[in-house]
Amino acid sequence: MSPRVAREVSIVASAALAVCAIAASGLVLVATPARGATSGSVAKPPAVADPETPYRGHGDAFSYGGHGELRFGHDRQAGVSNPDWFSVGQAGGFVEARLHPRWKLALKGAYDRGQDDFTLERALVEFKTGGPLRIHAGVIPAPLGTTNLSHDAPACEFADRSLVATDLVGVPYSELGIGIAGRAAKGAFAYEVDLVTGFDDGIVMGGAGGTRIPSGRNNYGDQNGVPALAGRVVWSPGGGSELGIAAQSGRYNRTEIAGVTVDQARNAHLFVADAASSLAGFRLFGETSLALVDVPPGLEGLYAERQWGASVEAGRTLFDPVFGGWKKSRLTASVRADAVDLDARAVGDSKARVSASLNLRHTTHAVLRAGWYYEVRHDRFDNRIPFAGLTLTAASYF
Amino acid sequence: MTHLPWLQRLHRATKSPSGSGAPPSSAPDRAAIPAGAVSLIAICVTCAILIGCESMLTTKPDPADRFDEPVVGLDNGELGDFQDGHEQFRKAFSIREGLGPVFNNVSCASCHSGDGRGLAENILTRFSRGADLVPGEGGPQLQTKAIPGATAEQVPAGVDVSYRLPPPVFGVGFLEAITESTILSNEDPGDSDGDGISGRANWVTPAGYVPADEPGGGTAPRVGRFGRKASVSSLLQQTVEAYHQDIGMTTPQRPQDNVNPLAPAPEGLDEAPDPEVAGNHVADVIQYMRMLAPPVAGEMTDRRLQGEGLFATARCNRCHIPTMRTGAHEIEALANHQIPLYSDLLIHDLGDELADNRPDGSADGREWRTAPLWGLRVARDFLGGDLLLLHDGRAHSVDEAIRAHGGEAAASRDAFLGLTTEERGALLDFVESR
Repeated sequence: MSPRVAREVSIVASAALAVCAIAASGLVLVATPARGATSGSVAKPPAVADPETPYRGHGDAFSYGGHGELRFGHDRQAGVSNPDWFSVGQAGGFVEARLHPRWKLALKGAYDRGQDDFTLERALVEFKTGGPLRIHAGVIPAPLGTTNLSHDAPACEFADRSLVATDLVGVPYSELGIGIAGRAAKGAFAYEVDLVTGFDDGIVMGGAGGTRIPSGRNNYGDQNGVPALAGRVVWSPGGGSELGIAAQSGRYNRTEIAGVTVDQARNAHLFVADAASSLAGFRLFGETSLALVDVPPGLEGLYAERQWGASVEAGRTLFDPVFGGWKKSRLTASVRADAVDLDARAVGDSKARVSASLNLRHTTHAVLRAGWYYEVRHDRFDNRIPFAGLTLTAASYF
Repeated sequence: MTHLPWLQRLHRATKSPSGSGAPPSSAPDRAAIPAGAVSLIAICVTCAILIGCESMLTTKPDPADRFDEPVVGLDNGELGDFQDGHEQFRKAFSIREGLGPVFNNVSCASCHSGDGRGLAENILTRFSRGADLVPGEGGPQLQTKAIPGATAEQVPAGVDVSYRLPPPVFGVGFLEAITESTILSNEDPGDSDGDGISGRANWVTPAGYVPADEPGGGTAPRVGRFGRKASVSSLLQQTVEAYHQDIGMTTPQRPQDNVNPLAPAPEGLDEAPDPEVAGNHVADVIQYMRMLAPPVAGEMTDRRLQGEGLFATARCNRCHIPTMRTGAHEIEALANHQIPLYSDLLIHDLGDELADNRPDGSADGREWRTAPLWGLRVARDFLGGDLLLLHDGRAHSVDEAIRAHGGEAAASRDAFLGLTTEERGALLDFVESR
């Protein structure tokens, strides 16, 4: 079998795996009786500071909190150890102020190792109507999949996010905009529709080596004056099951620079589908994404016009509680397989990874995590470059 | 605020919805696969990972099979320089960092697979009109990519065109360390010995920015040794021109952007300040390439020994000289070594079939530098199983490459063709094991 054929087989197999996982989750969803609204993707924080949540605060009016993660890793590339054995995975804080029973201000910012920068993830004002509809405006987390909406380290199962999250969606990804969110059918369906600034030309201008969606994140402004449309629809029949479809579409480039026309309008589209459910005691989660980018003609052939990825993970609680003295402790194990193809037309330029993780949670909001991953990257020549590592992370809300 | 990932939902799902202490809703699931068994599996897997750490955490490939390994004998400082250069060699530039306005690729490593040759898609197009490099028409190299707002170049009408596959970069430090007198000692420009082979050096004038204390530098003509026609004498020049022509990045040596002169890009399109690549990074890359070791040749079997004999009998070794000796070099590990490059670094007339009819330095359109044969043993590993030999990669095997030889190499080619199938196989096995 030639390398090209083998790779295509592996891509098809990965796609089939992702589709099967999502389909399986969907079947479980269908088989699961609805119990009402339990979705976490659009869940609201508690109104009152609750010791069982990350929030601390003073009554209804104000709540706040923070989170952090320390990562100790023994990472290797093709047998050579990476000297960076310690890093801060995340460090951030969040506040919420209820100005009125219907009005809320929310602010969240965090340093994130995945982005290697401090990001304003949330700075919004939200108005809740009398019904299930909410209106929000400001810096909004892009509703592009569960991972982007819920990615705090203490709440995650793995030390590193999936390749879909890091290389396609660019978690954490927030943007300026205004939109609505709400629920329907007794909470079984949730939706969010936003008009946002969208990606900027960093998709092609800022990406080192080619098209890179995360390089087009622009939290603070609109480069071309044309808003993008982002939205997500979630079906949550209950039992922790959820099926979400999300997309963002809009112009990403500038047609004029310093008054000179340099290009025609070009669009980028990002689609994300995710599903979560449980089967035979295992919790399943899958997320897949497809990016379509209208690349300027001078970059065709070198910059990708189509990228995609998929991630499938399964987890199970092993001990609950772990020790008699730790009533709230839990030990969970999870495995994940994920892959991204950063140029669907190129032979290489892809990554695939498997990860395993053991999570000891002393309380719900603090975790000590031991993990292992093995990642294979293929450069544009399709040369294979293996990466692997053992990680020990400690993460907590505070 | 949302802090409810799927695991927390799992936790909820495995508890009573009301949290009243009722039996977990997923109790039947847990019974399906006992937690104890799962725990045992998880612990076993963890132990297997820890016990098998070496393979589970990747293993180092055999350095002899790589193009990106350092030469033996470097001191700690040099190894540090090697690592710095390695990083710069692999660095892919973004448009915001200065890529373009016209260019061919985004990094050094994007054209040199594993630091070896490039693929057909990496082929570079050189053009000129006779000895005129036609800079006013985009010469001497075509840039096929352009950033938004700029226009990629087209080959102008009526020019001489030559296609060049990116050559390997390993071992160039050893080539640099060979003295000019050693190279010239193999010259026979007038074919005084009457063997039909008349190699000569390509005397070239270094670019003005190459100082006299740089190997191959100065104002006087020097022996060219790098490139398909040995038209460059200095690694500094080779590197700076690659940044400028191939990647569209300015350097302290060439601080002006390379533009398409026939379709100038609007002012301000390239917002990165010049030079876009710092001088120390250029130096890092040069030092890195200097210290790249050639792969180790394969084991000499009886068949290969036979092939080596036939290689000499066919007089292939008159140009593909098996070894040359390096002279002094500032990197001690490169100095005074007998290196198995299988080349004389001279230019030879290789006949009509390979001629590009485009002069380069003092080399005419039929002359090419004898290509070093080292590294052929593992070249396929980095080219998707192909070999892509000769200046434009037209030959997919050593056999095809030999058959394309003409001119001064015609007698050797004919001698090869006169061998039996078994003998040709032995010769090819020997060459492909270098």
